[in-house]
Amino acid sequence: MNPIFPAGDFTLLAIIIALPLVGAFVNGVFGKRLGKEAVTLMALSSVGASFLASVYTFFALRAAQTAEQAARFHWHGWEWMRLSSRTDAMGAGSNVPIELAFSVDALSGTMILVITGVGLLIHLYSTQYMRQDEGYHRFFAYLNLFVFSMLVLVLGDSLPVLFVGWEGVGVCSYLLIGFWFHEDANAAAGKKAFIANRIGDFGLLVAMGLLVYYCGALDWKGIEAASSSLAQPVKYWPIGTHVPLAAALPESAANWLNAPRYASAATLVSLALFLGAAGKSAQLPLYVWLPDAMAGPTPVSALIHAATMVTAGIYLCARLAGVFVLSPAAMFTVALIGAATALFAATIALVQNDIKKVLAYSTVSQLGYMFLGVGVGAFSAGFFHVLTHAFFKACLFLGAGSVIYAMHARIHDTERSQDMRHMGGMRAFMPITFATFVAAWGAIVGFPLLSGFFSKDEILFKAYTSSVVAPGDGKLHTARGVIDAFVWPSWGPTVLYGMGVVAAALTAFYMTRLVIGIFFGSFKGWTVVPHWKEPEGDPHAHEHAHHAVEEALEGPAPKESPWQMTLPLVVLGLLSVFAGALNAHALFHSHVLDTWLEPVFAHAQSGIKLVENEEALAIPLLIPSVVVFLLGAGVAYWMYLMAGGEPARKLASAAPRLYQLLYDKWRVDELYEETIIGAVDSLADFAAAFDRIVVDGVLARLTALLVRASGGLLRLLQTGRVHVYALSMVVGLGGLGWFFVAPHATASLERNDGAGAYVLTAAPGLGYQYRWYAEGEQPQDFGQQHTYELTIDKAGDTRKVKLEVKNAFGRVDAKEYVVNRAKPDLSGLPLTIDVGQGADGQLRGDVRPQPGAPQ
Amino acid sequence: MSPAAKVLLDLLPYLAALGVGVIVPKRKSLFERAAVGIVAMLALVLVRGLWPATPSGGAEEAMPREWPHLLNVVVFLPIVGALTILFTPRQSPALLKRLTLGFLALDLGASLLLLRVPMTKGWHFQYIVDWLPSLGIRYHVAVDGISLWLIVLTTFTTPIAAYASFGSLKGRVKDLCFAYLLLQGAMLGAFVALDLFLFYVFWELMLVPMMVLIGVWGGVEKIKAAYKFFIYTMAGSVLMLAAILYLAWAHHQAAGYWSFDYLALSRLSLPRVAAWLCFLAFSLSFFIKVPMFPFHTWLPDAHVQAPTGGSVILAAILLKCGAYGYLRFCMGLFPGPAWAAGANLAGIAVGGGILYGALCAWKQDDIKRIVAYSSVAHLGFVMLGLFAASQAGIEGAVLQMVNHGIATGALFILVGVIYDRRHTRLIREMGGLAKVMPVYAALFVIVTFASIGVPGTNGFVGEFMIIMGTFVSVPLGSNGTMQGVLAAAGVILAAIYMLSMVRKMFFGPLSNPKNRGLPDVNSREIVALSPLIVLIFVIGLFPGLFTSRMTETVGSVVERYVDGRKAFQEVAPEVTQPGLRERRGGPLERGYPLSPSERQAREQGAQALNEGEAP
Repeated sequence: MNPIFPAGDFTLLAIIIALPLVGAFVNGVFGKRLGKEAVTLMALSSVGASFLASVYTFFALRAAQTAEQAARFHWHGWEWMRLSSRTDAMGAGSNVPIELAFSVDALSGTMILVITGVGLLIHLYSTQYMRQDEGYHRFFAYLNLFVFSMLVLVLGDSLPVLFVGWEGVGVCSYLLIGFWFHEDANAAAGKKAFIANRIGDFGLLVAMGLLVYYCGALDWKGIEAASSSLAQPVKYWPIGTHVPLAAALPESAANWLNAPRYASAATLVSLALFLGAAGKSAQLPLYVWLPDAMAGPTPVSALIHAATMVTAGIYLCARLAGVFVLSPAAMFTVALIGAATALFAATIALVQNDIKKVLAYSTVSQLGYMFLGVGVGAFSAGFFHVLTHAFFKACLFLGAGSVIYAMHARIHDTERSQDMRHMGGMRAFMPITFATFVAAWGAIVGFPLLSGFFSKDEILFKAYTSSVVAPGDGKLHTARGVIDAFVWPSWGPTVLYGMGVVAAALTAFYMTRLVIGIFFGSFKGWTVVPHWKEPEGDPHAHEHAHHAVEEALEGPAPKESPWQMTLPLVVLGLLSVFAGALNAHALFHSHVLDTWLEPVFAHAQSGIKLVENEEALAIPLLIPSVVVFLLGAGVAYWMYLMAGGEPARKLASAAPRLYQLLYDKWRVDELYEETIIGAVDSLADFAAAFDRIVVDGVLARLTALLVRASGGLLRLLQTGRVHVYALSMVVGLGGLGWFFVAPHATASLERNDGAGAYVLTAAPGLGYQYRWYAEGEQPQDFGQQHTYELTIDKAGDTRKVKLEVKNAFGRVDAKEYVVNRAKPDLSGLPLTIDVGQGADGQLRGDVRPQPGAPQ
Repeated sequence: MSPAAKVLLDLLPYLAALGVGVIVPKRKSLFERAAVGIVAMLALVLVRGLWPATPSGGAEEAMPREWPHLLNVVVFLPIVGALTILFTPRQSPALLKRLTLGFLALDLGASLLLLRVPMTKGWHFQYIVDWLPSLGIRYHVAVDGISLWLIVLTTFTTPIAAYASFGSLKGRVKDLCFAYLLLQGAMLGAFVALDLFLFYVFWELMLVPMMVLIGVWGGVEKIKAAYKFFIYTMAGSVLMLAAILYLAWAHHQAAGYWSFDYLALSRLSLPRVAAWLCFLAFSLSFFIKVPMFPFHTWLPDAHVQAPTGGSVILAAILLKCGAYGYLRFCMGLFPGPAWAAGANLAGIAVGGGILYGALCAWKQDDIKRIVAYSSVAHLGFVMLGLFAASQAGIEGAVLQMVNHGIATGALFILVGVIYDRRHTRLIREMGGLAKVMPVYAALFVIVTFASIGVPGTNGFVGEFMIIMGTFVSVPLGSNGTMQGVLAAAGVILAAIYMLSMVRKMFFGPLSNPKNRGLPDVNSREIVALSPLIVLIFVIGLFPGLFTSRMTETVGSVVERYVDGRKAFQEVAPEVTQPGLRERRGGPLERGYPLSPSERQAREQGAQALNEGEAP
């Protein structure tokens, strides 16, 4: 087939990945010395060459796929590390090698086209957008590094290699959001993004741990091969054997708490994976970083936070579709969270004025759609929306950037230059931007026959018609019996579909509002003065002009952006219009994308159940989509253009608190601040104080204090005065004398339990005389015999012996000793029970050791 | 092709690396260029080692012979250097510095020779000689796949620390050089000693120069910190001494002759109570050194007060002695108690180390304290890997020891850079430094990413292997999953505290006027940092270079751990006398001391051979 690059050693993959890395390295290390032209050349050529190689790969893949079913090209670098799998009790486990290997199939082959293609367009756009920035080389180094990481993410052949790209794009996102780091807010936004993503990464790490445990593999092929072992039930509650302190509760509550709960391993793995996906793809509850991420330069928002990086979560779910479909519970969670995010983010976008914020929330909402698609098992539909969204959202962001670029001519304040209340009427000034923006608008709101119309409709259609069933008999066979697994609820399809349709209506509304706000009406940024000239003098004075907010600005008519910026807009605009043709089922029965991706998802299709005769529903389900589009767009058109925004203001003043709540983004940030972040913060405060006061206090200060105190006490005795020492000597001598004068009747016992013989030996002393007598005996005279022997015949018996001691001073001391013959320890010995009939006719048993056993 | 051309072609990549290294630095200094070039070339050599060399026909080529004195050279070269320093005039600081660096560089070279031998199972470069024969004390040193990397880490880090600290040194050069060299010798000795008496001597010896480093060149409260450091570690080690003496006595009871040898003592089958007490004494000593919660509070104080070089050595190497000691002695001599306590100790490592250390780090206002607490968290990972005792867990733990040495060493050097310029380490004094010190900021951010374990850097590989090893661990049982999950949660906290620090130091407006016009990193600092930065990526991408040499050793450690635990379970509770277990064969037992009668028999045999008779 492919003579240059055989499928098993497809070196071109290494080239695709390495080129942007080289670009990043050169621009990052030498960029400052190279100058802007060379940096531009390096950045564009590396991504461009990578794009060409991706195109070649794509076509090679197509050619291969017609020959065999599922084509997959590999490139193997080196063994990265080696893990061990679960061991048996004897400690024997097998190795789990983690190879630094890459592979490409239909899914990733399409993704790399988007990444390098859209990436190239945005690189081109940025050469103009960032021209004035002093960090030009730094910007392109980061951007190239991002493309590299994203390619690693998509092409990685195992979860750990994907994770390299996964965290790599997080790092680039962190660096690019905080690109203008001298403003505190930008740096804070970067940090927030990284930490929210890290929470997701935590989920991914846990998922990898579980996969190593249950599957013993982390590469795609190995996971797929061992995925059947994920069906086993896992007890996830209680952790350990019981809930601590549950016993203190009433018994029913304690029983309820302690009742073991099971889930299939696939559910746990999928939910952990989804946590990772939700972090990267900004889903509830981790979406909060994405709107803040708009602090970065606009091309970054377009490339990273709209077209590529944020879709990595959907890519992950699609890539591991075979794991997800094993767990209907996890799939339903994914779908429900996706639908909820779509709806929730759309409500926030309704009232925002910052055009980038509107687009950011719109991105969150659209990502929710994609997860809805993936969650109901419509992987290729979800991926289709990834594609179309990449085109139209990148176009929207770049269009917004173009408008902001024009606004920067007179307004230098970031916030004000992005506020749509200062725009309006730009249609006349920026025709190309306007045309492309409207094309992308049509795509996102679902204008019939544009790309977004088909992809969104496909997701909604699948949400209504498909559900996921558990593999096998749908039950968990636990150690405590068979448990019913999660079953797709009957209300599921209706609710998911309904949420999607309502979100579509809201999307149509806020996007129309955005277009009207920017391009229609009259221009409100500044008073347009024809042939206006920049005032001569200190540029810094002009820099500070924006501080005087009330001051009426004057300026030239806003200009259309140069070709480096409009060309990407035009390309993306065209793609937004026509990309729908790839998969326009409902109307044109076009299945190009579905067929293309079919081998990738073939494995996962088994768990997807469709309603009967679903094809017949295709057209009826289209109607609500069109209706809500007309409704949403029409209302916005009426509100903002025909009535000049008056109804919106009335509505806001009618429900001021609701409006404020929406405007404040449901105050979710504040909620997190008060609850989770606050809790961790005070926990950390507590830990630091605990460390200082308790740990250091007890271990260092308290011990030091004890040593010092005892030293101080002893020091009191060392006075250095002779008569004090003499006194202590006298006291000591007196004590010794007393000890010798008093007799001490102490004896030690030598035991021999086996024979029952015991010897008591009295301690010697000054002129000691002894006498011994057992219980009941008469005392004899004192003598010199200092030992006393006695025998006890029966085990368990006790004898008492009294010892009296008389010393040289005639003083007598006495003490009684109790000697007990211990019973032999028969536990663990083989025993015989003799049963016989006694004289009284009763049966009696006698237990004795077996002959031969030690006594 | 002519042989000359072939050689040239073989050398081409290295020359290219050298060239890149020479071109990259922006400044003119030839010295700096050359140093960076050599670093780049060395990195390439390391990476090349990953692939098998082209088969040159002689596949049967004899393995490189192990020169038995190599370890003696590695250990005693710095000590000889320290003695040399004593006879060098105090008035010529440049000579003293050069001598020190020369000795350290020679030692690095000597230790790299250790890498020439494939690290198969068992001991290598073993050297044994009687020291105090009447007590069975011997000079017994050897190296295996675990200590190998700690030795190389030591010989690699100390010159960097010394070099970095020479930049900001004022006065007392001779004493400092002496302390560095002696410290190096003692640490290396502790890593190679296989006689417990010898180990104890080196273990205590390294305290002295370190205490001097903190107490003489330290900060405001240096004396207090030095005492705290000394007394903490001393308190642990006297308990260990008592346990060592008991072990030697027990060996005498069981075998009839004295021995302090690790291999002989690992044969002892102790009564349960004694085994537990000895385990506690040893592990307490090691846990203080690591340090593990709750014995960690000496560390932040020592770090804050120590000079840059001292901090680097303390974090990079000294702490590793504790983890190494646990792996070698606690797990080797007392596998039963270590196994039984493993799950609980792992809980402490996760809760008290990874999570608690990270939370504490977040709330510190001194950069060095943050890095010190981050060490507590990172060492928590190391100890977790050891308690998990799976192949991946232990390999990850050893690798993480090296990683932590590199990343934290680099962080302390970087903190030293700003301290030299501003004479403060308080975060609130910083802010917006990226504007005035861009290269410094870039290096700091790279090292930060290594420290929080971003994939592609070394920190990730270690943490990842440890977490995965925890999930599949046998000793931790069902707790392993939960502990793995919590350890993974530690990566979130790591991001929080490190990135908060980076943000407050480098980003935001340049508000403090004192920070205006600070010079960026100078060539000395670049030279000191560049090998560490290179290694961050080399280990991150090619960890196989390191783990492949420890695989066999770790495998046998795991095997012996499982065996030893089984043997311990067979000891009946009422046994009160120490006995001897079956002697396990294999290369591990090479160097085992002979009992007097065995020795006599062997000598007679040799004599008989000399006289020409059959033995």
